[in-house]
Amino acid sequence: MSLLRNLLIKSLPQIRCIHATKALTTFYEKDAKSGYKDSRASPSKTNLIRDGLKELKQEVALWTEEVKDHFDADPVLIYRPGETDIAWRFDQETVNKWIVTSDSDNNEGFSKCKFDLTEHGKGHFHGNLSTRIPKDGRVQRAGYCNIKSLRARKSFKRESYYDWVNYNMLVLKVRGDGRSYIINIATKGYYDIMWNDVYNYILFTRGGPYWQIARIPFSKFFLSSKGRIQDKQYPLPLNRVTSFGFSVGDKIDGPFSLEIDYVGLEFDPNHTEEFAYEMYKTDKFVAGT
Amino acid sequence: MFHRRYLCQVLKYCKYKCNASQNEAARIVHTSSRFYCDNKENKVQVQMNFENIEKKTKNSYLDMIDIFIGRDVHRRGHVEFIYSAMKNMQSFNVHQDLTVYKALIDVLPKGKFIPTNMFQAEFMHYPKQQQCAIDLLQQMEDNGVMPDYEMEDILLNIFGKRGYPLRKFWRMMYWMPKFKNLSPWPVPNPPPNDSFELAKLAIARISSIDIQSQMTIYHTSDIADSIEDTWIVSAQSPIQKVLLEEHNPKQPIYVEGSFRVWLRNESVNYFILRTAAKVLDYEIEDTDDVSNIKVPFFNILPEEPKSLSTIPSVHEQEDGVIYALCATGTSSKDSLLSWVRHLEKVNPKLTECPIVFTLKSAEKELATFQGNNDEDETKTKIDEK
Repeated sequence: MSLLRNLLIKSLPQIRCIHATKALTTFYEKDAKSGYKDSRASPSKTNLIRDGLKELKQEVALWTEEVKDHFDADPVLIYRPGETDIAWRFDQETVNKWIVTSDSDNNEGFSKCKFDLTEHGKGHFHGNLSTRIPKDGRVQRAGYCNIKSLRARKSFKRESYYDWVNYNMLVLKVRGDGRSYIINIATKGYYDIMWNDVYNYILFTRGGPYWQIARIPFSKFFLSSKGRIQDKQYPLPLNRVTSFGFSVGDKIDGPFSLEIDYVGLEFDPNHTEEFAYEMYKTDKFVAGT
Repeated sequence: MFHRRYLCQVLKYCKYKCNASQNEAARIVHTSSRFYCDNKENKVQVQMNFENIEKKTKNSYLDMIDIFIGRDVHRRGHVEFIYSAMKNMQSFNVHQDLTVYKALIDVLPKGKFIPTNMFQAEFMHYPKQQQCAIDLLQQMEDNGVMPDYEMEDILLNIFGKRGYPLRKFWRMMYWMPKFKNLSPWPVPNPPPNDSFELAKLAIARISSIDIQSQMTIYHTSDIADSIEDTWIVSAQSPIQKVLLEEHNPKQPIYVEGSFRVWLRNESVNYFILRTAAKVLDYEIEDTDDVSNIKVPFFNILPEEPKSLSTIPSVHEQEDGVIYALCATGTSSKDSLLSWVRHLEKVNPKLTECPIVFTLKSAEKELATFQGNNDEDETKTKIDEK
């Protein structure tokens, strides 16, 4: 039947068939990247095997460490208040590992950005934000730049999570330019609706030559998915953190610059708030629909 | 009246008889209000659109809405009207005006779109109109305009409590107030137009790191040999004065800039007076290191006295010691020279030190052609696809 239809369509291109709308694929999501494909060509199979074998040695070493840690069974149990543990501090290797994206990468805008090191060895996220919309009739809003750490992984590239359960504060030493940035803590889940779970909070910067230390409690972070704040909010699951990043998209055209000394974690016993947002029940069919 | 009856018949016919060619039929039967324009006055009004208006003010924008509402009872094409009005908000400079958004939403008829049973409520009754209202609310959100409760009343009268625009409204009213005044460095909205006022705000904001710092306004004309006549907003704290007094006169002091600081959508260029970072002359003791513990019982000699040092102030950073900062009216080298001359009166040590100007070229006078290039680039990219 379909063969016949195809034949008909091919033989009579000028006749319009019955108009049928494209099936909606909103029931489930196939692609973890929602159709945003990587434009780079993937390396050949032989190259992949060669590179994989090269990495084998490191992976085995990592795995040995993990096994040792498991049998040692000596985790850190006391997190002293007022002490900041560094999660990320930037050197050339770490900077290269972070993912840098902007709307121009997907042909959805004209923003450009970079993430590199300053001469004093600090991470420097800078570029030019542009809210100009490309005239393709599809894109409605433009203007974002983004940096993101790689997903937490165990040996042999197995997916794992950062475990920040014992901390309740995020400590950032940054030097901004007066713009507001957004902090993204991704907690990618197993099912497709949880793939894009990101907890956000705003990082206000003072601007100027002075460094600032921002201490943000994890309880203030709110849940969003694909850039939309969710109606039903939950506290940030600190044992399921998959990646961390910053974004800028404050709809102001022009250059931006954010220097990051470190991203740290802290336990503050005086902060007892679990979640800053209301979680009461709303009327039926209003929230989360 | 004849027109209308005729149209209804045609539409009914299309609906029940010609299912396959429904689209084409709809195209033939053009339902826009232009069909009902018999007198010439109306025709003139229809052709008037937002782009053609010469005097683009809030009043003329509201007048356009009034004309549309008063044109006929049915307000045909109101969704299209709202969309075209939304597109032109920026050019009328009303994109951050709540009253205008309310007037636009008010164009939609009251009562007609309220669902009367649960199926209508579930399947988005009048979807085009609801989507239009949602888009309008989204535009408000993008422009940072917070709705008020009058807006809720209007929306309730139009879509009822089960309408999707209402949900959008409630979400906005829950989240927007939480972030509206969250910034620890608030800037007036809209920021001042005057560059002098902006510079004062910017310097006050940067120097808020040291509560003792004082902002002074100098004029270049007070210096004898200055070429320009402009203002200088300078900030220095007592700690910085002490640091400058202790400065080694052999080491150079740099006047660096311009750097940029953003105040909402306005940016201010500022300059700093800086010197190389201090070398720490003490070792930081690692209290966790237990490899070499000194046992006091076996020591014959008394313990060495540990050197005391002051905690470095906020101005002594890893990448330099900052002595002062300023913004000038012209951001030129001459105005900065006048600034240094003014500072010399308060900080006599400056006269002894070599001062190096390491300035980047002025950012204001550069014109970029990048925009057009970008567009061409994407065009080719799209063509390639």
